[in-house]
Amino acid sequence: MTDAAIVGLGLTPMSTKPGAPPESLAAQAVAAALADAGMEQAEVDGLLVNSSQGVRPDRLGVALARHAGFGPLRLLEHVEIKGATAAAMVQRAVLAVRAGLARSVVCVFADTPICPGGTSGSTYARSGGVEGTRGLERASGLLGSVPTFALLASRYLSMSGGDEDDLCAVACSARRWASYNLDAISRTTLSPEQYRGSPMVSTPLRRLDCARPVNGAGAIIVSTDDRRSDVNHAMVYVRGMAQWHPMRRRVAPGESWFGGGAGEAVSAALAMAGRTRADVDVLELYDPFSVVTLCLLEEYGFREPGTAGLTFRSGECDPGGSLPTNTGGGQLSAFYLQGMTPLAEAIIQVRGAGGERQVPGATTALVAGIGGRIDHHACLVLDREPS
Amino acid sequence: MTFSAGDWLVADELAPDPHGTLAPLYEGAAAGQLVMPFCDHCSQPLELEQFVCDACGGRVEWRRVDPSGTVHAVTTVHRREPGLIRVSDPYPVIDVELDSGHRVIMTTTRPVSEQPGIGQTVALSFRTVGDVALPAVTVPHPSHHDSEVTP
Repeated sequence: MTDAAIVGLGLTPMSTKPGAPPESLAAQAVAAALADAGMEQAEVDGLLVNSSQGVRPDRLGVALARHAGFGPLRLLEHVEIKGATAAAMVQRAVLAVRAGLARSVVCVFADTPICPGGTSGSTYARSGGVEGTRGLERASGLLGSVPTFALLASRYLSMSGGDEDDLCAVACSARRWASYNLDAISRTTLSPEQYRGSPMVSTPLRRLDCARPVNGAGAIIVSTDDRRSDVNHAMVYVRGMAQWHPMRRRVAPGESWFGGGAGEAVSAALAMAGRTRADVDVLELYDPFSVVTLCLLEEYGFREPGTAGLTFRSGECDPGGSLPTNTGGGQLSAFYLQGMTPLAEAIIQVRGAGGERQVPGATTALVAGIGGRIDHHACLVLDREPS
Repeated sequence: MTFSAGDWLVADELAPDPHGTLAPLYEGAAAGQLVMPFCDHCSQPLELEQFVCDACGGRVEWRRVDPSGTVHAVTTVHRREPGLIRVSDPYPVIDVELDSGHRVIMTTTRPVSEQPGIGQTVALSFRTVGDVALPAVTVPHPSHHDSEVTP
């Protein structure tokens, strides 16, 4: 009996300069994924697209299918659950292939936050509009996502009893992994002193606590696993998957910024895969800011509340550590390709293709994407095919 | 009182839409009243854009609340977007938990040299962006005025 598997992965070069538009980058990533899978574009009968949020006129949409040379499709959707979209697309694709709705589904993300005449920071600061809660917050000086997650960080550190050294430990750990990743943007060694010299953006978050914006794209292909003879790398199976949307209210007495039972999604995905947290060889988490990695490590039940900082400071999440986390350098040091960053790294690790950063013997990965203000979670348990 | 052209912190183009989802909040603010959404049935405080109560299914009703609260989270923003932020110094953004239970992100009525900390109580009033009034943490008049009259 056939099952669905991830058979192709393609990434564009990650650029820190303005260049090609998102559709062009998406087409490049799709071509790379097809080549990786040993597949022709005409074989693709499903396309799921993931654009960056916002109102930028060139954001990716379903028109990509017409513009990028696809033939008739049996599945075409623009999936939108913010940063959780990449993992959610894989869930959608796996279910579609298993149900026979499509045979080979491309999932693609592309974004170009770096525009001519402006920094990515400006792009984000100028997004959001004047309506609703966001309009009120922007009029109060909350521009872009850094001040937003700075509020989260201030609350998290206050409640956990942590401090900036915890954030520093996450940033330095990400950089240690990135130093072995040729695709990472920031690969030079980062010392705590250099971290503390990084410009403050919004207390307590420094520039080095923030994701590394890039113009780029990533694509994966989910197909039936009877193509085994065509692919020249290990197939990656999606053994478990789940979502959790906590509906955490921004009213007293609960926490506004974190918590809400997202560990449920991880537990459900692992249970579906017949695994436990102890079976996870690599943990690939959505890390737009250093503090988010700390929150998720605790929220997903890998560490007790208030102890994630100590975990990072003790090196457990580093290369050679007992809980290898964000093994390509994550969004912090490698590249901010939203949910595609942890997904791509998980595929690379489970294939055993991580080169110098490969976690020895890694066959099981947990991938998690978050959306909004840690409001949406989508996770996957990926397994290498039995040899 | 000092009159100046526009808000101390942000450009007029960031003035919120006073006729949108949060119209009752802005109408109240224009009248000097802090108005927040509650469930019309069980009186649970609702999020600003929530219009169905998650506890009982009731609908939203905007009610006047006391302009006071405590700091739930706080940041000092160092990045100042050219053309949108009018000050040259870092500025405060505070997530205030109102005594009513609502949490609202706001800045201060005027520049501050020191931020209130998490858990500290704050009084609220209003600032105006464009022609839209919105809540802000009250900062007393600068103390040097006091020193001018107190030898």
